[in-house]
Amino acid sequence: MGRFSFLGNLNKNLIFITIPPKPFVVIEVPQHNLYFMKLLLSVLTFLCILFSATSNAQDEPNISFFHVKPADFSLDKISVDTSSGAIIIADIGKSYFEGNSKGWFTLVYEHKRRIRIIDKKAFDLATVEIPLYKSKNTDNEETLESLKAYTYNLENGKVVETKLDKDNVFKEKLDGNHTVKKFTMPAVKEGSIIEYSYKINSDFLFNLQPWSFQGGYPRIWSEYKVAFPSFLQYVTLTQGYYPFFIKSNQEVRNSYSVRLNGDGVNNDGRLVHDDLISIPSTDLISRWVIRDIPAMKEEKFTSSLSNHLSQIEFQLAGENFPGQAYKSIMGNWSTVSEELLKDKDFGADLTSANNWINSESSQLIPNPANKTEEAKAIYKYVQHSIKSKGIRGIYLSQPLKETFKNKSGYVADINMLLTMLLTNRGFDASPVLISTRKNGRATDLYPLISKFNYVICRLTVNDKSYLLDASQPYLGFDKLPAYVYNGSARILGSNPTGIYLTADSLTENKTTDITLDLDEKNRHNWKGIVYSSPGYEESGSIREAVQEKGKDEYIKKLTQEYTGDYSINDVKIDQLDLNDEPVLINYSLDIENNKSDFIYFNPMIKEGMAENPFKSQERKYPVEMPFKINETYILRLQIPEGYVVDELPKSAKVKLNEDEALFEYIITKNDKEINLRTRLKFEKANFLSEDYETLRDFFDYIVKKHAEQIVFKKK
Amino acid sequence: MRNLHIVLIFTGFLLTSTAGFAQADLNITEIPAALLVNANAVVRNAVTNIEIRNEGKAIITNQYVVTVFNPGGNKYASMDLQYDKLISIRSFSGNLYDASGKRIRSLKKGDITDQSATSSYSLADDNRVRSHNFNYQNYPYTVEYETAVEYNGIFYFPSWTPVEDENLSVQQSQLQVQMPLNYTIRYKTFNYNKEPEIATGKDSKTLQWKVENLVPVKSEAFSVPWFECTPSVFLAPTSFRLQDYNGTMTDWATFGKFLYTLNAGRDKLPDNVKSKVHALTDGLASTPAKVKILYEYLQQNTRYISVQLGIGGWQTYDANYVASNGYGDCKALSNYMYSLLKEAGIKSYYTLIKAGEHNQSFIPDFPSNQFNHVIVCVPQDKDTIWLECTSQTEAPGYLGSFTGNRNALIIKEDGGVLVKTPGYTKTENLQIRKINSVLDLEGNLTLNIDTKYQAEQQDDVDGLLHGLSKELIAEYLKDKLSIPSYDILKFDYTQNKNGLPSVNEKLEVKAYNFATVTGKRIFITPNILNRSGTKIQDHDKRINPIRLSIEYTDIDTVEIKVPEGYVPESLPAGEGFDTKFGKFGTSFSFEPGRIIYIRHMQRNSGYYPATDGDALKKFYDAIYRSDRARIVLVKKE
Repeated sequence: MGRFSFLGNLNKNLIFITIPPKPFVVIEVPQHNLYFMKLLLSVLTFLCILFSATSNAQDEPNISFFHVKPADFSLDKISVDTSSGAIIIADIGKSYFEGNSKGWFTLVYEHKRRIRIIDKKAFDLATVEIPLYKSKNTDNEETLESLKAYTYNLENGKVVETKLDKDNVFKEKLDGNHTVKKFTMPAVKEGSIIEYSYKINSDFLFNLQPWSFQGGYPRIWSEYKVAFPSFLQYVTLTQGYYPFFIKSNQEVRNSYSVRLNGDGVNNDGRLVHDDLISIPSTDLISRWVIRDIPAMKEEKFTSSLSNHLSQIEFQLAGENFPGQAYKSIMGNWSTVSEELLKDKDFGADLTSANNWINSESSQLIPNPANKTEEAKAIYKYVQHSIKSKGIRGIYLSQPLKETFKNKSGYVADINMLLTMLLTNRGFDASPVLISTRKNGRATDLYPLISKFNYVICRLTVNDKSYLLDASQPYLGFDKLPAYVYNGSARILGSNPTGIYLTADSLTENKTTDITLDLDEKNRHNWKGIVYSSPGYEESGSIREAVQEKGKDEYIKKLTQEYTGDYSINDVKIDQLDLNDEPVLINYSLDIENNKSDFIYFNPMIKEGMAENPFKSQERKYPVEMPFKINETYILRLQIPEGYVVDELPKSAKVKLNEDEALFEYIITKNDKEINLRTRLKFEKANFLSEDYETLRDFFDYIVKKHAEQIVFKKK
Repeated sequence: MRNLHIVLIFTGFLLTSTAGFAQADLNITEIPAALLVNANAVVRNAVTNIEIRNEGKAIITNQYVVTVFNPGGNKYASMDLQYDKLISIRSFSGNLYDASGKRIRSLKKGDITDQSATSSYSLADDNRVRSHNFNYQNYPYTVEYETAVEYNGIFYFPSWTPVEDENLSVQQSQLQVQMPLNYTIRYKTFNYNKEPEIATGKDSKTLQWKVENLVPVKSEAFSVPWFECTPSVFLAPTSFRLQDYNGTMTDWATFGKFLYTLNAGRDKLPDNVKSKVHALTDGLASTPAKVKILYEYLQQNTRYISVQLGIGGWQTYDANYVASNGYGDCKALSNYMYSLLKEAGIKSYYTLIKAGEHNQSFIPDFPSNQFNHVIVCVPQDKDTIWLECTSQTEAPGYLGSFTGNRNALIIKEDGGVLVKTPGYTKTENLQIRKINSVLDLEGNLTLNIDTKYQAEQQDDVDGLLHGLSKELIAEYLKDKLSIPSYDILKFDYTQNKNGLPSVNEKLEVKAYNFATVTGKRIFITPNILNRSGTKIQDHDKRINPIRLSIEYTDIDTVEIKVPEGYVPESLPAGEGFDTKFGKFGTSFSFEPGRIIYIRHMQRNSGYYPATDGDALKKFYDAIYRSDRARIVLVKKE
């Protein structure tokens, strides 16, 4: 048995301190994930809750737009960090609706901003890009109106203004749907104040502009106001760590004039004239203000910065016109699922005749032994024959028939084709909506399909369920890429069910086993064998590298990692084609020791953790690792002939917060050989930011332990 | 950040013409076995046909057939056609074949994407790209494209490099240029040791270059530009037209004359700027002082914004545009600087250059449009002043690795003159570092690091200081040091922009577990921060010449105070060697209570034959090893 040394001082560092929750309100959170608690996810219900903020000393920003005074250039009273090189003094947005002459409503978004440039590093703020969308099939579009922009400079105590010339506003057509209006402010220098305002008129009522309170530069006053008419109902989602300075709702009576185009004949055959109708509404005016928000900073090991950004988003829920029945647009999961499955750009092909597939697919997929084998054969067929063009949201880019014929498609095309082929063979298969880590988290509470960007397939055979993704060539059956483990996902069907994919449920198991015997001829040298089984994710990268560059190139690279007194030979990589399993790598390892008085040897060889992945001293956001680490390293080492062990690292066993992770380093020796077994095992992948320091210390300890040396001394 | 789009026109261009293959030819069995070795893809046949109709018009057709064997070859199987106001696309078609050469499908118009290709550094330009990709993955497969584009003006031509990149072999590829009998095309070839074949017809003549059965070329460390490693042909016009401007390009003088004409009369300053110039300079006696103050005026009142539309890719916006907007691209800002100097009575030249860090791909004996940047040259009896007008932070006269040490074309009224910009020597490009540190018994190290960076060795640090806020510099430093786990306790930078620019960096760092403590021993590598990462991995014999770009000197002095009672058990021997590539020397010593490590490295620049490949590998291997040498201390019993 090995010795255990419980390192008192270290354990002290690793004591778990329960930090009380930060003082902000959590209105509703999914139950399954504790650290999610930190995220303020509040949901406004449709009901008008009249709520006025406690009266504040200042409820308007202390500036007058387009009237810049010399005093405005002073940085004396600035309450945020100025080291970013610029400050957004005020960032104010407003969205409201107007009746239009197309018989419907225009959604108007107004944005105005005052920026104080301090340093030339922040000149990028002087260039503004406004994306606009246009429908290809209808005349619906977004237009930019009332653009006004001035640069103000203080010269000899006087404010000099320079207006943006309309000729210097450029339009870039990105593709058929998207254009960008771009301009850069004139006469920008260090010390300038920049102001601009514009309006976007939009025919897309579902696209109520979201608002970010945070960005690359600090903001002193960030405000968004929306006037919701009572006949249009939106769901509001807010998230972030900064408390609202003002959050108010107010009811105001209003009426909307809509001009109906009457150039035609109505159902009764009567001539219809242009008609101006008036729709009464009790508008709900919601206003959100956050003050003194520091610049947003990227941190490593976060799923996505967008999961932590202070922001508000909206989704159109329904229409409730006077005298008409309520019309749900957002619906509930059942109605949304039903509509999606009927949509020709999503699920319609799953259930249509699909005669084109029958003749071909029966030839493509041989007669299987049983149902599970048959499903596996279909999965493999789709995975290997259809090339993925990447992620492009949840909708099909082309009919499934085209995907099948062209042998290429986006993720949604491929996994919907898989679902269809399975269904067609009588399997119980359903599409599953997912939001990838990069895309940010989706919510379980409302059927906000715009939050999803990825589709996989859920298959049930003999009461056993499998999750399949045929778009990734190196995945096994029932395996998913780590980037889809991002919280809420939704299985579509007659009874749509939420599932929760968390990195806490994904383990990356890696084992390395090395035996170093003495070289028969030179019994002070080692000759040994390395068996290594990388984790599943790492195996995927190896498969990809081998596929891209060839096996020989991969082996060559591996060989070149060993230099000097270390050399490897006979590298074998097995199970490359067995996607369900990790790859297996083995090779022989020769280590030469010159016959000096001492031999210093790191028993981790190349497998030690060389540096701490956590570089920062402090941490704002939770640590979200892509999976749970579980690494085992075993070494059996013969003592070189003519030498004795002079020094051996001490065994150690360290726990992180009682049971959240374990690191073991157990080393024993007898006359002939030394045995080392070291293990790093995490019980979870997500940690609170309060745990950061402990986590960093934990990794520091591992790095330190992995660097330790065995010393052999000549007899 | 600050390139013209002249050069970008050529990127992403796959060249091809019409000829058509019989399907049997496309069977992969037709590929000679030698071409399959190390090839991810084989170009089966490529024909680029440039038909010069007249000085104002050329039609370029391409036929391009490639067989792809694995995912690494996919990048050769797509087609991007760039176009703008001066280039239009006439046709674009393609086919996909299986391994046997059976056609699977054809390109459909709807599958071609049309997107803006405005470069990331541009606010506005008119570059667009049409792209197509069959996205096939059943290997091997063959793709065929046929395209035609029309050049409105023949100011430049695409270059021809049949072996575009690594792991690509070429079964057959040809370039032909067809032109009126009285027209002369100019060309420059690399690794093509024949004259082109010339066919003369009734109204036209055709020049043809052709290669067959080229095996893959490997890219090597410290290499010369790719086009010098494989057959390449560059083309340039004699006479040409660009929109309403006619020019000739037979030598640098005429090329320069054309540019002078293109930009003539664009130097008129508004009155308020004129008086500002006089207010700033009239009281000053020396020209360098006037240049300095006007350059600083430029830096404080303008910034780099690229707007390049139509002929604006070549012709500068006028001085008034910069004066009223406070911005411009490299052409507009250089022209503005030229105008300011002119108003102050100082002669200067608008100067074309091929910018890029240590870019040495310019071909001086082939007058053609190889430039991507503009700077200003102020000639002086001695020490000519060079001005980088797109930078708000550079010292007047300093060019650095972006434009230093290379040819440039100064544009005079009577034509262009090729000159050399100043280079920086190994005694000027310095990094001198002194580390004082204290080691504790846990293996933690507390460091005071004092580094002076000078000339080209300060370019990156300078960029960091001017590009990032203090907060982001702190963020950057967290990741920059090659220490397993550390915190930056304090950092400070001071800059000196007089003469050769330099930066002084002071860091206070706490490094955790830097030394390994095992029982009575301490293991420590005294080269803490300057370990060479260069390892030439090629075991095969070197094929192409060696080019070492920057020359420099690094001097490191490290003192490590060690805990009491420890003495060295193993102290590496210092070493020293002097080779044609540079000098390297180290010493490791121990005095009671402290380790002293000194490292001196001086690297040369220059060209060396391929036969020096082994010697270069040896040079870097020795440094790599030495930089990782470890000291073992043991507690005295």
